[in-house]
This record gives sequence, structure tokens and C-alpha cells, in this order.
Amino acid sequence: MAKRRKEIRDVETRLTRRMFLLGGGQLVLGTVLAGRLYQLQIAQGDTYQKLSDRNQFDTRLVPAPRGRVLDRKQRLLVGNSEVFELNIIPARIGDLRQLLGQVARLVTLSDEDITRVLEEVAAKPEFVEITIRSDLTQRELSRLAVRSPALPGVVFQKGFRRLYPQGSLFSHIAGYVSPVTAAEVDEDRLLRRLPGLQTGKVGLEKAQEQALRGEIGVQRLEVNALGKPVRLLNDRLARSGKDIQLTIDLDLQSYAAKRLQQGNSEAVPVSDPAVQRALSRDAQLRSHFASGDQLVLRNSKGVLTPPESGAAMVMDVETGAVRAMVSLPGFDPNQFAGRLRERDWQRLNQHPRTPLLKRTIAGLYSPGSTFKMAVLAAALEAGVVTSKTQYFCNGHFEFGDRKFYCWREGGHGAVNGRQAIAQSCDVYFYQVALKTGINRIHALASRLGLGDISGLGLPGEKIGILPTREWKMARRGTVWTPGETVIAGIGQGFVLATPAQLAVMAARIANGKKQVTARLLESDLDAGEAFAPLGINAGILNEIRRSMRLVMAGALGTARNYDLTESQMAGKTGTVQVKRISKAQREEGIIDNLDRPWKERDHALFVGYAPYKKPRYAVSVVVEHGGSGSSMAAPIARDLLDFALRGDRA
Amino acid sequence: MSWWSKLLSLPWLMMICAALLVLIGALALYSASEGAWSPWAEQHLIRAGIGAVLMLVMGFLPLRWISRMAPLALLAGILVLLALPFIGTGSGATRWISLGPLNLQPSEPIKVALVLVLAKYFASRTWDQFDSFMTYLPALVLVAVPVALVLMQPDLGTALMMGIGGLSMLFLAGLPRRWIVLGLIAGLASLPLAWSQLYDYQKARVLTFLNPGQDALGAGYQITQSKIALGSGGLFGKGFLMGSQSQLDYLPEKQTDFVFTMIGEEFGLIGNLAVLLIYFVMMGSVLFVGIRCENRFGRLLCGGLSMMLFLYVFVNVAMVTGLMPVVGAPLPLISYGGTAMLTVFLALGLTMNVSLNLDKDDTQII
Repeated sequence: MAKRRKEIRDVETRLTRRMFLLGGGQLVLGTVLAGRLYQLQIAQGDTYQKLSDRNQFDTRLVPAPRGRVLDRKQRLLVGNSEVFELNIIPARIGDLRQLLGQVARLVTLSDEDITRVLEEVAAKPEFVEITIRSDLTQRELSRLAVRSPALPGVVFQKGFRRLYPQGSLFSHIAGYVSPVTAAEVDEDRLLRRLPGLQTGKVGLEKAQEQALRGEIGVQRLEVNALGKPVRLLNDRLARSGKDIQLTIDLDLQSYAAKRLQQGNSEAVPVSDPAVQRALSRDAQLRSHFASGDQLVLRNSKGVLTPPESGAAMVMDVETGAVRAMVSLPGFDPNQFAGRLRERDWQRLNQHPRTPLLKRTIAGLYSPGSTFKMAVLAAALEAGVVTSKTQYFCNGHFEFGDRKFYCWREGGHGAVNGRQAIAQSCDVYFYQVALKTGINRIHALASRLGLGDISGLGLPGEKIGILPTREWKMARRGTVWTPGETVIAGIGQGFVLATPAQLAVMAARIANGKKQVTARLLESDLDAGEAFAPLGINAGILNEIRRSMRLVMAGALGTARNYDLTESQMAGKTGTVQVKRISKAQREEGIIDNLDRPWKERDHALFVGYAPYKKPRYAVSVVVEHGGSGSSMAAPIARDLLDFALRGDRA
Repeated sequence: MSWWSKLLSLPWLMMICAALLVLIGALALYSASEGAWSPWAEQHLIRAGIGAVLMLVMGFLPLRWISRMAPLALLAGILVLLALPFIGTGSGATRWISLGPLNLQPSEPIKVALVLVLAKYFASRTWDQFDSFMTYLPALVLVAVPVALVLMQPDLGTALMMGIGGLSMLFLAGLPRRWIVLGLIAGLASLPLAWSQLYDYQKARVLTFLNPGQDALGAGYQITQSKIALGSGGLFGKGFLMGSQSQLDYLPEKQTDFVFTMIGEEFGLIGNLAVLLIYFVMMGSVLFVGIRCENRFGRLLCGGLSMMLFLYVFVNVAMVTGLMPVVGAPLPLISYGGTAMLTVFLALGLTMNVSLNLDKDDTQII
């Protein structure tokens, strides 16, 4: 019995003993691991440190060319050119300042460049490549190549530079790329690895960044123990970005820019001695000349002036495809694609007419008389007038203690809605707007696309202002007054719209059935997304369209001299006062636009479409301080429609 | 036992170690994705949460019930292994089964089932049977069957771990010394035979292991890069998110099998040793629960589980430091991969359970 108990205890102690043995064995092996780690990380640490450095040196990230941007006929609008970058790897460099000094003897390096490089080196992990110059010339490249064995840590890399072959023509559509910012790196850490990488900051380049960017490739140069290259491995092939095809027609776009720029003036050759004299005398003219397209005009009074500024847009009334979209003045996006020079940046900022403003989508203008279609349609829809209702215009409308003037001093006499549009009678619209009320005008105008973005998909689009009573209470905290309705009746006061919205409005009136929106990408057209129904009575639209035809064809139409010759068009002029006319000025007689300072001249607007019977294209034109909607904007709009229709026939 | 003393007797140190390892894992995975919570770190923490729940469930189920279910679980596991060639997924080797969004590697939880079944088997032998070889033969068969099936997948690493883990249970139970010696000799003698049975890529890995420089661009690439990354980390490492080998994608599989290397590159020898220390404290506390336990079942169970944890860590670290061929072994709780993590939580739960049943008699459990 005692023996048995002892044997049982033996079995138990054997188990305990073996558990301790097992634990001991684990500890011994654990110590072996620790020893191995000590061997690798401390004893041989330096060797591996060197190998690690060589690894980094021999990995190359291969930039992917960005996708191109093409016009509707596959013509190149934005592309890439190959450049050579000069990069350094701080981890392989002893004395950075000394090295930069050496490099500066071979290539041009400004003090600015050097400060920037030093800042970047301090801010980034030292194994990340840093670009010293991103646009080496052929001569610099060969000079560097000869010396490169003596310059450890200096490497070249083939890169791509964004190229905008159309210059300023697409500046506000394409936008531009520039070096990656710190905020972007926080979002996507891969971006920090390629020093020369540039990302879209404005326009399509920004909106379509993901599609355009492509994928960075990784290449590894394998080296043997002696440091000799063994082979080049493509760990990941660079994949170029997707091309994007626009609905824009390059011919129409460049014609539109030229036409708008020129206005009603005559282009003067720069070689003309008068131009040279004017440029040397007139700093204002010089500042335009230095940074825009180098163009000087002579207006009808013989004065040399800078090119016109403003916006124009042509779009298809069925599909919404934008065929031309111009904002003037533009800028050269190529300036941003390299390293933007301080001088260029100052010129852009000091330019008297804000070339960076995307006027088509972010320029806010009072629509003026081009808003009258919306007011008349709202009044017809509300039933406050019929097509026959007449109002008498004696040149002004007294409301409360205010006197609202018609543009025509003597007045228009008795006019119905159609005549009021054709002759742009303000008094008719003061009264009709008052009867209709601002909220009903808002309801109709929003169906025409005002107060809403146009669907272009470009960043920074503004929605303008299409006021209601509630809007004013919310934004200003005061009650809407009837006087504000009166002035809104002629598209002034609070109402603000962008040229893109005005084109959409014209397209919807012409289309009559659908709420067409503006489409800039060919792929959006293919997507075939259905437009919402317009929801305006056909009879009302007919009345509006007839009135717009009378603007061009009526004996008293404000644009009667500017109808198309081979076809018929419909439209509406708008002349927007930018400065209040005082009573004294009114009594003295209003000064002619061209005799006023440029800033005080009226804005000239026009919206329309053609052909009248079977509409194809809608157009909007805004000429900043262009004088009058009839004489300045209408002929430009006509020429654009004419050019677009001719293009279709050809 | 009152609930208070129950709570006190839980293996807290073990659980704290596990939590630390999970957090270290999350940080490492955050770095592996270049400083982002997705796709790995976030998922890792979610899985750890699920694992912790699993651990508590295993910890508080009646131990008797668990020991009754163990053979069934092992049987089910073996059936799944048998069916794997038909229902499994995986590139080259079929190791995985897909259960909806989950990818499970059935060979991992089988390790736990095997330890449970062996513990139950040896605990139910009488004291006079431990000197007879016939006591150990059925256990040997129990180990051999799943190991053979895993070898056929083929998954050399897991088979090796499972085999050594199972054999160490035999050792714990009291396999007489003469059999141990004989077994070692037989094992060494059969090496040439085993070699001829290996697949080409497995042979290549072993050859590469013996001479990594020979093919630094092919099969030796992983191990060379891993050693460079570890070595260049030095004593203190290159700093969080600053590991050039890892961040520049030199290091393969840095989120799974080579995560220890990445920790080494960014936190150096200090970081590596700290991780090892935590693991060993965790294993030690598992073993300590076994040593304090008064029933054979619990003692064998904890001994086996501690060995299982040890094998995970040892094989992985030995592999990334070039002490062993690359066999594909996770570093549980730290590397990204759900099955190994859940298996470890399963083991920790069982240890917890044993710690609540220290003074029970074997007859009350089996």
C-alpha cells in the first residue's frame, strides 16, 4: 500500500519536474532568440545599416504620367512632357551645404531653391528623396552626368511635367497641378515618396484627380555584395492615369475667346508705334499686356485699350454638352506646372482684372434684363397677367417714395409682355414683378436653373442668389420689402447669377421639356442620366420664346441688328448698371459708356439660342463693363452661335 | 469559492500581457500601413475584442463540459482537414476555408483540441500505466493523424508546430527516458526519407536557409531583407513610422509573418526584447497555473498550451531572424491574421478556466 502511494507520487512529481523542464527549455531557447537579436542588431548592426542604406538608394519610384485631357474631337488640351529631375537623398550625404555648393556650380540654383531644400530636408525622413530642381536643361544634365561619381547622394530621375499646350485658353476649365501639399500627404502617405509629384489644385485637374493621377510604379535595382547592379526589377509597373475627353470643341473655344476678347474694337499690331508709345506711358495697359495674351485694342473712339474681360458659354440644348466655356482674362497654367516664379505670381495677383477668377462658374453678375423671361413666365403661370395684358410706360414707375426709371427716358407707351421683352421695358416688369411676388418668381426661375449649380462638376462653382422672403430673413434678418421685388423684376437688386447658369437657363427655355444641366465630360453624356422634366407649361414657354424671337426680329427689338443671316435666333439683351445714377446726373443727361471710367461702365449681357425653330445651341455672354447688351454682347453671341452651327454643317 | 476570491485567482498577469501584445500589434499594423488605421490596425483591434469575448466564454464554461466536448471537436477538425482539398481556398496550398466574410485556417484551432484531448487521455490513465509504451501509442496516433493531414495541405510550419506540441504532451505525461532517446534517434535517421517527401519549394526554402546569400534575389530575398531590416534597427530603432525597409516595401509580409522584423527596425533591440519578454511572461503564467493545479488534466492542459504559445513565438522569431527556414508562421496577437489570434485567446480562456478549478479532482472534471 505504501509502495503504491509512493509510485503515485512518483508519477505526479515526474509531471511537475517535466513541467519545470519544459519551462526551462523554453527559457533557454528564448535566450537563444535574444542572443540572435543581439548578434543581428548590435554586433552586426553597422553592416546591416549599410545594406539598408543601399537598399533605399537603389529603390526608385517611377512616376506615372497623368491622364491627358482631350477635346470632343480628341485634340490635346492637357498633356505631359518629359523632364529630368535632380534629386538628393539626405541619408547618403555628409555635408549638405557643401554638396549644394558643388551642385550650384554645375546647375542654376537660386538662394530660394537652397532655402527650400534645407527646409525640406529638415522636415522629412532622411531616406526620402528631395527634389532640388525639376526641370534640368540638356546642358545641365550632361554637366551633372560627368561629375556624378563625385556627388554621392545625388540622383536624376525622369519625370513628367504637366503641359498645357493651349495656354490660357483652358486655364479655367483644366485648372492646374502643383507640388503636393502637406495636407494631401496627411491624407495619402504614398504621395510623400515621389518628390516631383504634382497634384491637381484647381479645375478639372482637381475634380478628376483620382482618375488622372494613375499609379506610381516601383523599380528596384538589385545589387550584389560588391555593390554592382545585377538586374532591374519592376516591382510594380507605373500605370498612367486615365484620359478625359471633354465635350468642348477646341475650334469653337478658341474662336469664342478671341471674339470675346476683341469685343467691338479693332486689334492693333503690337509693332505699331502708337502701341509702343502707349505701353511705355500707360502702366495699366502694360500690366494687362505683360501677363495676358499680348493684345491691344483700339476702340471706336480711337483709344487704345486692353482686351475685354468677361465670360461666354455655348452648350447643346438637348444633351447639355458644353461646346465652349470661356472666362477672360485667363492665365497660363504652365506657370504653375513648373515651380511658380515669384514674379509671375505677383503679376497674376496685381493684374487689374483678377485672371484667377473662374468667371463662367464663379463670377457673380446681376442678370439684369436677361432675368425678365423668368419674371414674365412666373407672372403668366401665376395668372396675374395674360399675353394681352398691357402696362403703360412713361419712363418711370413711382412706388412709395421711390422712383424707378425705365432705361428709355421717354418710356415705351402701352406694352404687353411680348413687347416688353422685345424692347426690354423696365416699367412693365416693375409692375408685373410686384403683382407676382418674389417667391413665385423664385419658384419659376429655379426651374430654369438659377440659384443652383450647373452640373459641370468643377470645383468652386457658385450658386449665386435667387432670393425669397425667407432667404432675406435668414441671411439679413430683415423683412423683404416690396421695393426689392420691384428691382428684382429687372434682374437687379439681390439677384445674382453666373454665366453658366444663364446658359443653362437659355438651354432650358429652348429645350422646353427637360431640366438640361451643363455637361463637361463626354463620359457623362454617355452615362445617359435622364434630366428631370422642366415643369413649365408649353403655352407659357411658347410665349417666352416668341418674345425672345422679337428681340432679334421685331422692329423695335433691342438686338434687331444682330440676327443670324443663315438661320434665325432668339435671345435677350441685358445691360446692368454697376453704379447708381444720381438725380443730378439724370438731369444733366446720362454720359455715354465709353466716356465713363471703365469700372463705371455697364455690364453687357446676352442669352439666347439658335436655330429658333429647332434649337441646337444655347449661349450666354457677359462682357464686363462692356457698355450695352445690345451693341456689345448680342453680336458676340450671334457670332458664337453662327460659328457653332457652321461647324455642324461642315 | 466566493466570486471575489474567484476574481482574484484569475490569471491577471497573463491577461495583461495579452492586452499589451494586442496593443503593440495595433501600433505595428498602424505603421505597416504607413500610418493609417485601415486596412489592418482597426480590424486587428476588432478581432481582439471578439477574441477577448471568446476567452471569457471558454473561461467560464464548466470544465467538465469542455473536456467532454474535446474529442468531438478534434474529430470535427480532422473531418474538416479531410474535406479541405474539396472545400478549401488558398494559393498553392489549400489551408483555408471561407465562412462568408471569414477566412479560417482550421489547423490552428485543432492544435487546441489536440492538447485538450491528450490532456484528457493522460488524465484518465491510472498511475501504473505510465511506464508502459502501450499507454503512449494511442496518443502518438492521435498526434500523427492531424499532423499528417496538415502536411498534405501542405503546410510544413503548422505540421511541425502541431507535431512538436503533441510530442511535448507525451513528454509531460511521463514518457520514459529510454523512449525519448530512441525516438530522437529514429527521428534523425528518418530525415533523408522526410527530405525526399518534401515539395520543391519546401526544399528550396531549406536550402536557402542553409545558404541565404546564394540566391539573394529569389527564395532568400525575404530572409535577407528581414535581417537587413532587423539589423539596421540597432539598439533603439529608426523610430515609429521611420523604418525605411518596411515603409519602402522592401520587407515582404510586414503586416503578417514579418511584423516582428518591422518592430525591430522601428524600435530596435529594446523593442524586440520587450515583446519577447511579454510573451515569455504570458507563457510563464500559463505554465504557473498548471504547476499550481492539483488535477492532472489541468496540469497537462496548461503545460501543453504554454508549449503551443511558445512554439508560435519561437518559430516566428527564429524564422525572421534567419535561424529557421521560412515556413509561414504568424506571431499571434501581434501579426495580422485572425485564426492564430482566436486560437491564442481560446488557449488563454482554457487557462483561465483551469485557474478557477485548481483544487478539483480529476474525477470531477473528466
